[in-house]
Amino acid sequence: MIAPPTVVDEIERLAALDGYSIIDTEPEDSFDDIVRLATMYCEAPIGWISLVDATRQWFKARVGIEARETAREISFCGHAILGRSVFVVPDAQTDPRFMGNPLVLGDPGIRFYAGAPLTTPGGQNLGTLCVMDRQPRQLTADQLSALTMLARQVVTQLELRRITAVHSAAEDELRRCGDPRDFGAHMLDVSEPREVERMKREFISTVSHELRTPLTALRGSLGLLASGAMGEFPEEARPMLAVAERNSVRLMCLLDDILDSDKLQAGRMEMTAQPSPLRRILERAIADSVSLAGQEGVAIDLLCSDLRVMGDADRLVQVTTNLLSNAIKYSHRGGSVTVIATRVRGWAEVRVVDRGRGIAPGLQQKLFQRFQRADFSDARTKPGTGLGLSICKAIIEQHGGTIGVESSEGQGSTFWFRLFAITGIAGHEPSFDEGSALEGAQ
Amino acid sequence: MKVLVVDDEEDVRFVAEVSLGRVGGMTVVVASGGVEGLQLARSEHPDFILLDMMMPGMDGLTTFHALKADPQTADIPVIFLTAKGLAPDTEHLGAKAVILKPFDPMTLASDIRKILES
Repeated sequence: MIAPPTVVDEIERLAALDGYSIIDTEPEDSFDDIVRLATMYCEAPIGWISLVDATRQWFKARVGIEARETAREISFCGHAILGRSVFVVPDAQTDPRFMGNPLVLGDPGIRFYAGAPLTTPGGQNLGTLCVMDRQPRQLTADQLSALTMLARQVVTQLELRRITAVHSAAEDELRRCGDPRDFGAHMLDVSEPREVERMKREFISTVSHELRTPLTALRGSLGLLASGAMGEFPEEARPMLAVAERNSVRLMCLLDDILDSDKLQAGRMEMTAQPSPLRRILERAIADSVSLAGQEGVAIDLLCSDLRVMGDADRLVQVTTNLLSNAIKYSHRGGSVTVIATRVRGWAEVRVVDRGRGIAPGLQQKLFQRFQRADFSDARTKPGTGLGLSICKAIIEQHGGTIGVESSEGQGSTFWFRLFAITGIAGHEPSFDEGSALEGAQ
Repeated sequence: MKVLVVDDEEDVRFVAEVSLGRVGGMTVVVASGGVEGLQLARSEHPDFILLDMMMPGMDGLTTFHALKADPQTADIPVIFLTAKGLAPDTEHLGAKAVILKPFDPMTLASDIRKILES
Protein backbone atom coordinates (compact mmCIF):
# COMPACT_ATOMS: atom_id res chain seq x y z
CA MET A 1 0.00 0.00 0.00
CA ILE A 2 1.19 3.51 -0.78
CA ALA A 3 -0.20 6.38 1.24
CA PRO A 4 -1.44 9.29 -0.89
CA PRO A 5 1.12 12.07 -1.33
CA THR A 6 0.31 15.55 -0.06
CA VAL A 7 -1.29 17.95 -2.52
CA VAL A 8 1.12 20.64 -3.77
CA ASP A 9 -0.92 23.56 -2.46
CA GLU A 10 -2.09 21.71 0.64
CA ILE A 11 -2.17 24.78 2.91
CA GLU A 12 -4.40 26.69 0.50
CA ARG A 13 -6.54 23.59 -0.01
CA LEU A 14 -7.07 23.11 3.73
CA ALA A 15 -7.86 26.82 4.12
CA ALA A 16 -10.47 26.52 1.38
CA LEU A 17 -11.97 23.46 3.04
CA ASP A 18 -12.10 25.28 6.36
CA GLY A 19 -13.93 28.16 4.68
CA TYR A 20 -16.90 25.89 3.93
CA SER A 21 -17.32 24.89 7.61
CA ILE A 22 -18.64 21.53 6.47
CA ILE A 23 -16.48 19.03 8.33
CA ASP A 24 -18.26 17.25 11.19
CA THR A 25 -21.65 18.73 10.39
CA GLU A 26 -24.88 16.75 10.47
CA PRO A 27 -26.09 14.86 7.37
CA GLU A 28 -28.13 16.94 4.92
CA ASP A 29 -30.69 15.66 2.43
CA SER A 30 -29.24 17.55 -0.51
CA PHE A 31 -25.88 15.75 -0.17
CA ASP A 32 -27.45 12.37 0.68
CA ASP A 33 -29.57 12.59 -2.47
CA ILE A 34 -26.54 13.20 -4.68
CA VAL A 35 -24.74 10.15 -3.32
CA ARG A 36 -27.86 8.00 -3.78
CA LEU A 37 -28.19 9.25 -7.35
CA ALA A 38 -24.54 8.54 -8.06
CA THR A 39 -24.67 4.98 -6.71
CA MET A 40 -27.94 4.26 -8.53
CA TYR A 41 -26.73 5.59 -11.86
CA CYS A 42 -23.34 3.92 -11.56
CA GLU A 43 -24.96 0.70 -10.23
CA ALA A 44 -22.53 0.67 -7.32
CA PRO A 45 -23.31 -0.61 -3.77
CA ILE A 46 -21.04 1.92 -2.07
CA GLY A 47 -20.65 5.66 -2.48
CA TRP A 48 -19.80 8.76 -0.50
CA ILE A 49 -18.96 12.40 -0.49
CA SER A 50 -15.54 12.50 1.08
CA LEU A 51 -13.88 15.66 2.35
CA VAL A 52 -10.18 15.26 2.93
CA ASP A 53 -8.69 17.28 5.76
CA ALA A 54 -5.13 17.11 7.11
CA THR A 55 -5.43 13.69 8.71
CA ARG A 56 -8.63 11.99 7.59
CA GLN A 57 -11.33 11.70 5.01
CA TRP A 58 -14.73 12.59 6.47
CA PHE A 59 -17.99 11.56 4.81
CA LYS A 60 -20.65 14.23 4.45
CA ALA A 61 -22.96 11.65 2.91
CA ARG A 62 -22.51 7.92 2.44
CA VAL A 63 -24.14 4.75 1.14
CA GLY A 64 -22.98 1.20 1.93
CA ILE A 65 -20.64 2.02 4.80
CA GLU A 66 -21.21 2.66 8.49
CA ALA A 67 -18.02 4.56 9.28
CA ARG A 68 -18.18 8.41 9.22
CA GLU A 69 -14.48 8.79 8.47
CA THR A 70 -11.20 6.98 7.84
CA ALA A 71 -7.55 7.92 8.14
CA ARG A 72 -6.30 9.92 5.19
CA GLU A 73 -3.34 7.60 4.54
CA ILE A 74 -5.61 4.66 3.68
CA SER A 75 -8.07 6.75 1.64
CA PHE A 76 -8.65 6.30 -2.08
CA CYS A 77 -9.90 9.86 -2.16
CA GLY A 78 -6.51 11.14 -0.96
CA HIS A 79 -5.21 9.92 -4.33
CA ALA A 80 -8.23 11.17 -6.28
CA ILE A 81 -7.77 14.80 -5.15
CA LEU A 82 -4.35 14.91 -6.83
CA GLY A 83 -5.92 15.19 -10.29
CA ARG A 84 -8.63 17.12 -12.09
CA SER A 85 -10.57 14.26 -13.68
CA VAL A 86 -12.29 11.12 -12.38
CA PHE A 87 -9.79 8.85 -10.63
CA VAL A 88 -10.52 5.19 -11.45
CA VAL A 89 -9.10 2.06 -9.83
CA PRO A 90 -10.54 -0.94 -11.76
CA ASP A 91 -9.18 -3.55 -9.30
CA ALA A 92 -7.65 -2.44 -6.01
CA GLN A 93 -6.23 -5.88 -5.32
CA THR A 94 -3.92 -5.60 -8.34
CA ASP A 95 -3.04 -1.92 -7.83
CA PRO A 96 0.17 -1.53 -5.76
CA ARG A 97 -1.15 1.71 -4.23
CA PHE A 98 -4.03 -0.18 -2.59
CA MET A 99 -2.78 -3.72 -2.08
CA GLY A 100 -2.96 -4.43 1.65
CA ASN A 101 -5.24 -1.39 2.26
CA PRO A 102 -7.60 -2.13 5.18
CA LEU A 103 -10.52 -0.76 3.13
CA VAL A 104 -9.71 -3.40 0.52
CA LEU A 105 -8.90 -6.24 2.87
CA GLY A 106 -11.66 -5.53 5.40
CA ASP A 107 -14.92 -3.57 5.48
CA PRO A 108 -16.26 -2.44 3.04
CA GLY A 109 -14.05 -4.61 0.84
CA ILE A 110 -13.39 -2.18 -1.99
CA ARG A 111 -12.23 -3.69 -5.33
CA PHE A 112 -13.41 -0.98 -7.70
CA TYR A 113 -13.19 2.78 -7.07
CA ALA A 114 -14.16 5.83 -9.19
CA GLY A 115 -13.89 9.29 -7.58
CA ALA A 116 -14.64 12.66 -9.15
CA PRO A 117 -12.79 15.53 -7.43
CA LEU A 118 -14.84 18.26 -5.76
CA THR A 119 -13.11 21.25 -7.31
CA THR A 120 -13.98 24.65 -5.88
CA PRO A 121 -14.33 27.77 -8.06
CA GLY A 122 -10.88 28.66 -6.72
CA GLY A 123 -9.41 25.41 -8.11
CA GLN A 124 -8.95 23.52 -4.82
CA ASN A 125 -9.93 19.85 -4.59
CA LEU A 126 -11.74 19.46 -1.27
CA GLY A 127 -12.50 15.77 -1.65
CA THR A 128 -14.48 13.55 -3.98
CA LEU A 129 -17.83 12.18 -4.92
CA CYS A 130 -17.03 8.52 -5.39
CA VAL A 131 -18.67 5.18 -6.09
CA MET A 132 -17.21 1.77 -5.20
CA ASP A 133 -17.92 -1.86 -5.79
CA ARG A 134 -16.81 -5.09 -4.19
CA GLN A 135 -15.79 -6.54 -7.53
CA PRO A 136 -13.46 -5.35 -10.29
CA ARG A 137 -15.24 -3.33 -13.00
CA GLN A 138 -15.34 -0.11 -15.05
CA LEU A 139 -17.81 2.76 -15.50
CA THR A 140 -19.40 3.48 -18.86
CA ALA A 141 -18.69 6.83 -20.48
CA ASP A 142 -22.17 8.01 -19.45
CA GLN A 143 -21.58 6.99 -15.87
CA LEU A 144 -18.24 8.79 -15.81
CA SER A 145 -19.95 11.93 -17.16
CA ALA A 146 -22.77 11.59 -14.64
CA LEU A 147 -20.29 11.25 -11.77
CA THR A 148 -18.46 14.38 -12.94
CA MET A 149 -21.70 16.34 -13.23
CA LEU A 150 -22.92 15.22 -9.82
CA ALA A 151 -19.57 16.20 -8.30
CA ARG A 152 -20.13 19.70 -9.67
CA GLN A 153 -23.54 19.67 -7.99
CA VAL A 154 -21.90 18.81 -4.68
CA VAL A 155 -19.63 21.85 -5.05
CA THR A 156 -22.64 24.01 -5.93
CA GLN A 157 -24.38 22.83 -2.78
CA LEU A 158 -21.29 23.57 -0.73
CA GLU A 159 -21.11 27.08 -2.20
CA LEU A 160 -24.80 27.72 -1.52
CA ARG A 161 -24.38 26.49 2.01
CA ARG A 162 -21.39 28.76 2.59
CA ILE A 163 -23.08 31.87 1.15
CA THR A 164 -26.27 31.23 3.12
CA ALA A 165 -24.27 30.85 6.32
CA VAL A 166 -22.38 34.09 5.75
CA HIS A 167 -25.59 35.97 4.91
CA SER A 168 -27.22 34.57 8.00
CA ALA A 169 -24.28 35.59 10.16
CA ALA A 170 -24.35 39.06 8.63
CA GLU A 171 -28.07 39.37 9.39
CA ASP A 172 -27.49 38.23 12.97
CA GLU A 173 -24.69 40.72 13.33
CA LEU A 174 -26.84 43.50 11.95
CA ARG A 175 -29.59 42.71 14.39
CA ARG A 176 -27.14 42.46 17.26
CA CYS A 177 -24.96 45.48 16.58
CA GLY A 178 -27.13 47.61 14.37
CA ASP A 179 -23.93 48.84 12.79
CA PRO A 180 -22.35 47.10 9.81
CA ARG A 181 -19.02 48.81 10.51
CA ASP A 182 -18.48 46.28 13.29
CA PHE A 183 -18.49 43.39 10.84
CA GLY A 184 -15.46 41.25 10.26
CA ALA A 185 -13.79 41.58 6.88
CA HIS A 186 -15.23 38.29 5.65
CA MET A 187 -18.70 39.68 6.10
CA LEU A 188 -18.11 42.87 4.21
CA ASP A 189 -18.18 41.00 0.91
CA VAL A 190 -21.79 39.94 1.17
CA SER A 191 -23.05 43.01 3.01
CA GLU A 192 -21.36 45.44 0.64
CA PRO A 193 -24.57 46.76 -0.97
CA ARG A 194 -26.06 47.24 2.49
CA GLU A 195 -22.87 48.89 3.69
CA VAL A 196 -22.79 51.21 0.68
CA GLU A 197 -26.43 52.11 1.29
CA ARG A 198 -25.74 52.81 4.96
CA MET A 199 -22.71 54.94 4.13
CA LYS A 200 -24.74 56.85 1.57
CA ARG A 201 -27.44 57.56 4.13
CA GLU A 202 -24.88 58.57 6.73
CA PHE A 203 -23.23 60.88 4.22
CA ILE A 204 -26.57 62.48 3.33
CA SER A 205 -27.44 62.89 6.97
CA THR A 206 -24.07 64.38 7.90
CA VAL A 207 -23.99 66.75 4.96
CA SER A 208 -27.54 67.86 5.63
CA HIS A 209 -26.80 68.59 9.27
CA GLU A 210 -23.51 70.25 8.51
CA LEU A 211 -25.16 72.49 5.92
CA ARG A 212 -27.67 73.62 8.48
CA THR A 213 -25.14 75.59 10.50
CA PRO A 214 -23.95 77.87 7.68
CA LEU A 215 -27.54 78.17 6.54
CA THR A 216 -28.52 79.33 10.00
CA ALA A 217 -26.00 82.13 9.74
CA LEU A 218 -27.02 82.90 6.14
CA ARG A 219 -30.76 82.98 6.74
CA GLY A 220 -30.34 84.85 9.98
CA SER A 221 -28.19 87.50 8.37
CA LEU A 222 -30.55 87.90 5.43
CA GLY A 223 -33.54 88.07 7.74
CA LEU A 224 -31.90 90.75 9.85
CA LEU A 225 -30.92 92.76 6.77
CA ALA A 226 -34.41 92.47 5.26
CA SER A 227 -36.05 93.52 8.51
CA GLY A 228 -34.02 96.71 8.68
CA ALA A 229 -32.54 95.71 12.01
CA MET A 230 -29.11 96.61 10.68
CA GLY A 231 -30.21 99.90 9.13
CA GLU A 232 -32.06 100.86 5.98
CA PHE A 233 -31.31 98.82 2.91
CA PRO A 234 -31.16 100.61 -0.50
CA GLU A 235 -34.51 100.25 -2.25
CA GLU A 236 -32.98 99.06 -5.55
CA ALA A 237 -31.14 96.28 -3.72
CA ARG A 238 -34.25 94.88 -2.06
CA PRO A 239 -35.24 92.53 -4.94
CA MET A 240 -31.76 91.05 -4.79
CA LEU A 241 -32.10 90.53 -1.05
CA ALA A 242 -35.47 88.86 -1.63
CA VAL A 243 -33.84 86.48 -4.13
CA ALA A 244 -31.17 85.54 -1.59
CA GLU A 245 -33.72 85.07 1.18
CA ARG A 246 -36.10 83.05 -0.99
CA ASN A 247 -33.35 80.74 -2.13
CA SER A 248 -31.99 80.20 1.35
CA VAL A 249 -35.51 79.07 2.30
CA ARG A 250 -35.54 76.71 -0.69
CA LEU A 251 -32.22 75.26 0.34
CA MET A 252 -33.49 74.66 3.86
CA CYS A 253 -36.66 72.98 2.53
CA LEU A 254 -34.49 70.77 0.33
CA LEU A 255 -32.39 69.76 3.33
CA ASP A 256 -35.48 68.99 5.38
CA ASP A 257 -36.95 66.89 2.57
CA ILE A 258 -33.73 64.98 2.00
CA LEU A 259 -33.42 64.23 5.71
CA ASP A 260 -37.07 63.17 5.99
CA SER A 261 -36.92 61.05 2.87
CA ASP A 262 -33.71 59.43 4.08
CA LYS A 263 -35.21 58.67 7.49
CA LEU A 264 -38.40 57.25 6.01
CA GLN A 265 -36.46 55.03 3.63
CA ALA A 266 -34.34 53.73 6.48
CA GLY A 267 -37.39 53.29 8.71
CA ARG A 268 -35.82 55.65 11.24
CA MET A 269 -38.51 58.32 11.36
CA GLU A 270 -39.99 58.25 14.82
CA MET A 271 -43.72 58.81 15.01
CA THR A 272 -45.84 59.15 18.08
CA ALA A 273 -49.38 57.90 17.61
CA GLN A 274 -51.92 59.81 19.64
CA PRO A 275 -55.60 60.53 19.10
CA SER A 276 -55.91 63.99 17.61
CA PRO A 277 -58.82 66.07 16.38
CA LEU A 278 -58.44 66.24 12.60
CA ARG A 279 -59.65 69.83 12.55
CA ARG A 280 -56.72 70.94 14.72
CA ILE A 281 -54.25 69.24 12.37
CA LEU A 282 -55.78 70.85 9.31
CA GLU A 283 -55.96 74.27 10.93
CA ARG A 284 -52.28 74.08 11.84
CA ALA A 285 -51.42 73.14 8.26
CA ILE A 286 -53.49 76.02 6.93
CA ALA A 287 -51.83 78.43 9.36
CA ASP A 288 -48.44 77.26 8.06
CA SER A 289 -49.59 77.84 4.47
CA VAL A 290 -51.21 81.26 4.85
CA SER A 291 -48.01 83.12 4.01
CA LEU A 292 -47.48 81.23 0.73
CA ALA A 293 -51.16 81.56 -0.15
CA GLY A 294 -50.89 85.31 0.37
CA GLN A 295 -47.86 85.56 -1.90
CA GLU A 296 -49.59 83.57 -4.64
CA GLY A 297 -52.95 85.33 -4.23
CA VAL A 298 -54.81 82.11 -3.41
CA ALA A 299 -57.50 81.68 -0.74
CA ILE A 300 -57.80 78.59 1.46
CA ASP A 301 -61.14 77.19 2.68
CA LEU A 302 -61.69 74.46 5.22
CA LEU A 303 -64.72 72.18 5.43
CA CYS A 304 -64.19 69.77 8.27
CA SER A 305 -66.33 67.18 9.99
CA ASP A 306 -65.77 66.50 13.67
CA LEU A 307 -63.33 63.64 13.23
CA ARG A 308 -60.47 62.26 15.26
CA VAL A 309 -57.57 60.25 13.94
CA MET A 310 -54.84 58.20 15.54
CA GLY A 311 -51.44 59.42 14.42
CA ASP A 312 -48.50 61.73 14.78
CA ALA A 313 -50.05 65.16 14.57
CA ASP A 314 -46.82 66.92 13.53
CA ARG A 315 -46.31 64.51 10.63
CA LEU A 316 -49.92 64.79 9.53
CA VAL A 317 -49.58 68.57 9.58
CA GLN A 318 -46.48 68.13 7.44
CA VAL A 319 -48.40 66.02 4.91
CA THR A 320 -51.31 68.46 4.72
CA THR A 321 -48.98 71.45 4.47
CA ASN A 322 -47.17 69.77 1.60
CA LEU A 323 -50.39 69.04 -0.27
CA LEU A 324 -51.56 72.61 0.36
CA SER A 325 -48.24 74.00 -0.83
CA ASN A 326 -48.55 72.13 -4.14
CA ALA A 327 -52.19 73.13 -4.55
CA ILE A 328 -51.36 76.79 -3.94
CA LYS A 329 -48.32 76.81 -6.21
CA TYR A 330 -50.24 75.34 -9.13
CA SER A 331 -53.41 77.41 -8.64
CA HIS A 332 -54.24 80.49 -10.67
CA ARG A 333 -53.78 83.82 -8.93
CA GLY A 334 -57.09 84.84 -7.41
CA GLY A 335 -58.18 81.21 -7.16
CA SER A 336 -58.85 79.12 -4.10
CA VAL A 337 -57.89 75.84 -2.53
CA THR A 338 -60.38 73.88 -0.42
CA VAL A 339 -59.53 71.39 2.29
CA ILE A 340 -62.37 68.96 2.94
CA ALA A 341 -62.38 66.38 5.72
CA THR A 342 -65.14 63.80 5.86
CA ARG A 343 -65.80 60.33 7.19
CA VAL A 344 -65.87 57.71 4.44
CA ARG A 345 -66.80 54.28 5.76
CA GLY A 346 -64.63 54.21 8.88
CA TRP A 347 -61.93 56.31 7.29
CA ALA A 348 -61.21 59.97 7.83
CA GLU A 349 -60.63 61.33 4.35
CA VAL A 350 -58.87 64.62 3.74
CA ARG A 351 -59.14 66.12 0.25
CA VAL A 352 -57.10 69.11 -0.87
CA VAL A 353 -58.86 70.50 -3.91
CA ASP A 354 -57.43 73.05 -6.31
CA ARG A 355 -58.79 74.51 -9.53
CA GLY A 356 -55.45 74.77 -11.25
CA ARG A 357 -54.27 73.29 -14.49
CA GLY A 358 -54.54 69.62 -13.49
CA ILE A 359 -52.15 66.76 -14.15
CA ALA A 360 -51.95 64.40 -17.13
CA PRO A 361 -53.17 60.87 -16.28
CA GLY A 362 -49.80 59.27 -17.06
CA LEU A 363 -48.05 61.49 -14.55
CA GLN A 364 -50.43 61.19 -11.65
CA GLN A 365 -49.04 58.08 -9.93
CA LYS A 366 -45.44 58.92 -10.82
CA LEU A 367 -45.74 62.02 -8.67
CA PHE A 368 -45.52 59.88 -5.54
CA GLN A 369 -42.11 58.58 -6.54
CA ARG A 370 -38.95 60.28 -5.35
CA PHE A 371 -37.63 63.20 -7.42
CA GLN A 372 -40.73 63.30 -9.63
CA ARG A 373 -42.34 66.60 -10.42
CA ALA A 374 -45.26 67.76 -12.52
CA ASP A 375 -44.04 68.11 -16.08
CA PHE A 376 -45.12 71.67 -16.57
CA SER A 377 -43.04 74.00 -18.62
CA ASP A 378 -42.66 76.25 -15.61
CA ALA A 379 -42.21 73.45 -13.08
CA ARG A 380 -38.62 74.51 -12.49
CA THR A 381 -39.77 77.99 -11.55
CA LYS A 382 -41.99 76.55 -8.83
CA PRO A 383 -39.86 75.80 -5.79
CA GLY A 384 -39.86 72.14 -4.89
CA THR A 385 -37.56 69.21 -4.43
CA GLY A 386 -39.55 66.41 -6.03
CA LEU A 387 -39.46 64.61 -2.70
CA GLY A 388 -42.53 66.08 -1.00
CA LEU A 389 -45.18 63.69 -2.27
CA SER A 390 -43.01 60.61 -1.78
CA ILE A 391 -42.54 61.75 1.82
CA CYS A 392 -46.30 62.29 2.21
CA LYS A 393 -46.95 58.80 0.82
CA ALA A 394 -44.45 57.20 3.19
CA ILE A 395 -45.85 59.04 6.22
CA ILE A 396 -49.47 58.18 5.39
CA GLU A 397 -48.60 54.57 4.69
CA GLN A 398 -46.76 54.36 8.01
CA HIS A 399 -50.05 55.43 9.57
CA GLY A 400 -51.76 52.53 7.80
CA GLY A 401 -53.52 54.93 5.45
CA THR A 402 -53.63 55.54 1.73
CA ILE A 403 -52.92 58.55 -0.44
CA GLY A 404 -53.83 59.38 -4.01
CA VAL A 405 -54.71 61.95 -6.60
CA GLU A 406 -57.62 62.60 -8.92
CA SER A 407 -57.11 65.14 -11.65
CA SER A 408 -58.43 66.36 -14.96
CA GLU A 409 -56.21 68.44 -17.16
CA GLY A 410 -57.38 72.02 -17.19
CA GLN A 411 -59.83 71.51 -14.33
CA GLY A 412 -57.68 71.09 -11.26
CA SER A 413 -56.48 68.35 -8.98
CA THR A 414 -57.59 66.73 -5.76
CA PHE A 415 -54.93 65.14 -3.59
CA TRP A 416 -56.42 63.01 -0.84
CA PHE A 417 -55.38 60.81 2.01
CA ARG A 418 -57.32 58.47 4.24
CA LEU A 419 -56.59 57.51 7.82
CA PHE A 420 -58.46 55.25 10.16
CA ALA A 421 -61.02 57.39 12.02
CA ILE A 422 -61.35 56.76 15.73
CA THR A 423 -64.49 57.13 17.76
CA GLY A 424 -64.81 60.48 19.51
CA ILE A 425 -64.93 60.81 23.28
CA ALA A 426 -68.51 61.96 23.13
CA GLY A 427 -69.29 59.18 20.70
CA HIS A 428 -70.86 61.66 18.31
CA GLU A 429 -69.16 62.28 15.02
CA PRO A 430 -71.53 63.80 12.52
CA SER A 431 -70.45 63.28 8.94
CA PHE A 432 -70.03 65.86 6.24
CA ASP A 433 -73.01 64.33 4.45
CA GLU A 434 -75.22 65.08 7.41
CA GLY A 435 -74.44 68.73 6.87
CA SER A 436 -73.53 69.38 10.46
CA ALA A 437 -70.42 70.62 12.17
CA LEU A 438 -69.14 72.16 8.98
CA GLU A 439 -67.81 75.56 8.52
CA GLY A 440 -65.64 77.62 6.25
CA ALA A 441 -62.38 78.32 7.95
CA GLN A 442 -61.04 81.22 5.96
CA MET B 1 -32.66 90.23 30.53
CA LYS B 2 -29.18 88.78 30.16
CA VAL B 3 -28.46 85.81 27.93
CA LEU B 4 -25.37 83.69 27.46
CA VAL B 5 -25.04 82.31 23.93
CA VAL B 6 -22.70 79.30 23.67
CA ASP B 7 -21.93 78.29 20.08
CA ASP B 8 -18.66 77.36 18.37
CA GLU B 9 -19.75 78.98 15.08
CA GLU B 10 -18.74 82.62 15.04
CA ASP B 11 -21.32 83.58 12.41
CA VAL B 12 -24.16 81.90 14.29
CA ARG B 13 -23.04 83.65 17.48
CA PHE B 14 -23.08 86.98 15.64
CA VAL B 15 -26.58 86.43 14.23
CA ALA B 16 -27.86 85.29 17.64
CA GLU B 17 -26.20 88.30 19.29
CA VAL B 18 -27.92 90.72 16.91
CA SER B 19 -31.24 88.85 17.09
CA LEU B 20 -31.35 88.77 20.86
CA GLY B 21 -29.53 92.04 21.48
CA ARG B 22 -30.31 94.62 18.85
CA VAL B 23 -33.71 93.15 17.85
CA GLY B 24 -34.73 91.58 21.15
CA GLY B 25 -33.36 94.16 23.55
CA MET B 26 -31.46 91.64 25.66
CA THR B 27 -27.94 91.88 27.05
CA VAL B 28 -25.92 89.25 25.25
CA VAL B 29 -22.76 87.51 26.42
CA VAL B 30 -21.19 85.02 24.01
CA ALA B 31 -18.93 82.00 24.50
CA SER B 32 -17.28 79.98 21.76
CA GLY B 33 -17.29 76.64 23.58
CA GLY B 34 -18.38 74.66 26.60
CA VAL B 35 -15.46 75.53 28.88
CA GLU B 36 -15.76 79.27 28.23
CA GLY B 37 -19.53 78.92 28.59
CA LEU B 38 -19.19 77.40 32.07
CA GLN B 39 -16.81 80.17 33.17
CA LEU B 40 -19.12 82.92 31.87
CA ALA B 41 -22.19 81.26 33.37
CA ARG B 42 -20.52 81.44 36.80
CA SER B 43 -19.20 84.98 36.42
CA GLU B 44 -22.08 86.62 34.51
CA HIS B 45 -25.10 84.86 36.07
CA PRO B 46 -27.27 85.13 32.92
CA ASP B 47 -31.06 84.78 33.07
CA PHE B 48 -30.83 81.91 30.60
CA ILE B 49 -28.34 80.12 28.39
CA LEU B 50 -28.76 79.40 24.69
CA LEU B 51 -26.54 76.34 24.23
CA ASP B 52 -25.49 74.76 20.94
CA MET B 53 -25.64 70.95 21.00
CA MET B 54 -22.86 70.11 18.57
CA MET B 55 -19.58 71.66 19.52
CA PRO B 56 -16.04 70.33 19.31
CA GLY B 57 -14.40 69.52 22.63
CA MET B 58 -17.00 69.91 25.35
CA ASP B 59 -20.29 69.44 23.51
CA GLY B 60 -23.67 70.85 24.47
CA LEU B 61 -24.84 67.88 26.51
CA THR B 62 -21.62 67.71 28.54
CA THR B 63 -21.77 71.45 29.14
CA PHE B 64 -25.39 71.11 30.21
CA HIS B 65 -24.58 68.41 32.75
CA ALA B 66 -21.66 70.46 34.08
CA LEU B 67 -23.94 73.49 34.47
CA LYS B 68 -26.52 71.43 36.35
CA ALA B 69 -23.86 69.88 38.59
CA ASP B 70 -22.56 73.26 39.71
CA PRO B 71 -24.68 74.92 42.46
CA GLN B 72 -23.74 78.35 41.06
CA THR B 73 -25.29 77.60 37.67
CA ALA B 74 -27.73 74.75 38.31
CA ASP B 75 -30.78 77.02 38.39
CA ILE B 76 -30.09 78.85 35.13
CA PRO B 77 -32.62 77.77 32.47
CA VAL B 78 -30.96 76.22 29.43
CA ILE B 79 -32.40 76.28 25.94
CA PHE B 80 -30.69 74.02 23.46
CA LEU B 81 -29.94 75.16 19.96
CA THR B 82 -29.65 72.31 17.50
CA ALA B 83 -30.23 71.06 13.99
CA LYS B 84 -33.43 69.23 13.18
CA GLY B 85 -33.20 65.55 14.01
CA LEU B 86 -30.59 66.04 16.73
CA ALA B 87 -32.92 67.42 19.37
CA PRO B 88 -32.41 65.80 22.77
CA ASP B 89 -35.22 64.75 25.07
CA THR B 90 -35.39 68.02 26.97
CA GLU B 91 -38.06 66.84 29.39
CA HIS B 92 -35.89 63.92 30.43
CA LEU B 93 -32.83 66.14 30.74
CA GLY B 94 -34.52 68.97 32.54
CA ALA B 95 -33.69 71.54 29.87
CA LYS B 96 -36.19 74.28 29.20
CA ALA B 97 -36.67 73.82 25.46
CA VAL B 98 -35.00 73.23 22.13
CA ILE B 99 -34.78 75.79 19.37
CA LEU B 100 -34.13 74.33 15.97
CA LYS B 101 -31.64 75.76 13.51
CA PRO B 102 -32.21 77.81 11.53
CA PHE B 103 -34.09 80.11 13.86
CA ASP B 104 -36.02 83.17 12.77
CA PRO B 105 -33.78 86.09 13.81
CA MET B 106 -36.70 88.46 14.11
CA THR B 107 -38.71 86.28 16.48
CA LEU B 108 -35.94 84.51 18.38
CA ALA B 109 -36.10 86.82 21.41
CA SER B 110 -39.88 86.82 21.63
CA ASP B 111 -39.99 83.04 21.19
CA ILE B 112 -37.52 82.63 24.04
CA ARG B 113 -39.45 85.03 26.29
CA LYS B 114 -42.58 82.92 25.74
CA ILE B 115 -40.65 79.76 26.58
CA LEU B 116 -39.24 81.26 29.78
CA GLU B 117 -42.66 82.52 30.87
CA SER B 118 -44.35 79.18 30.25
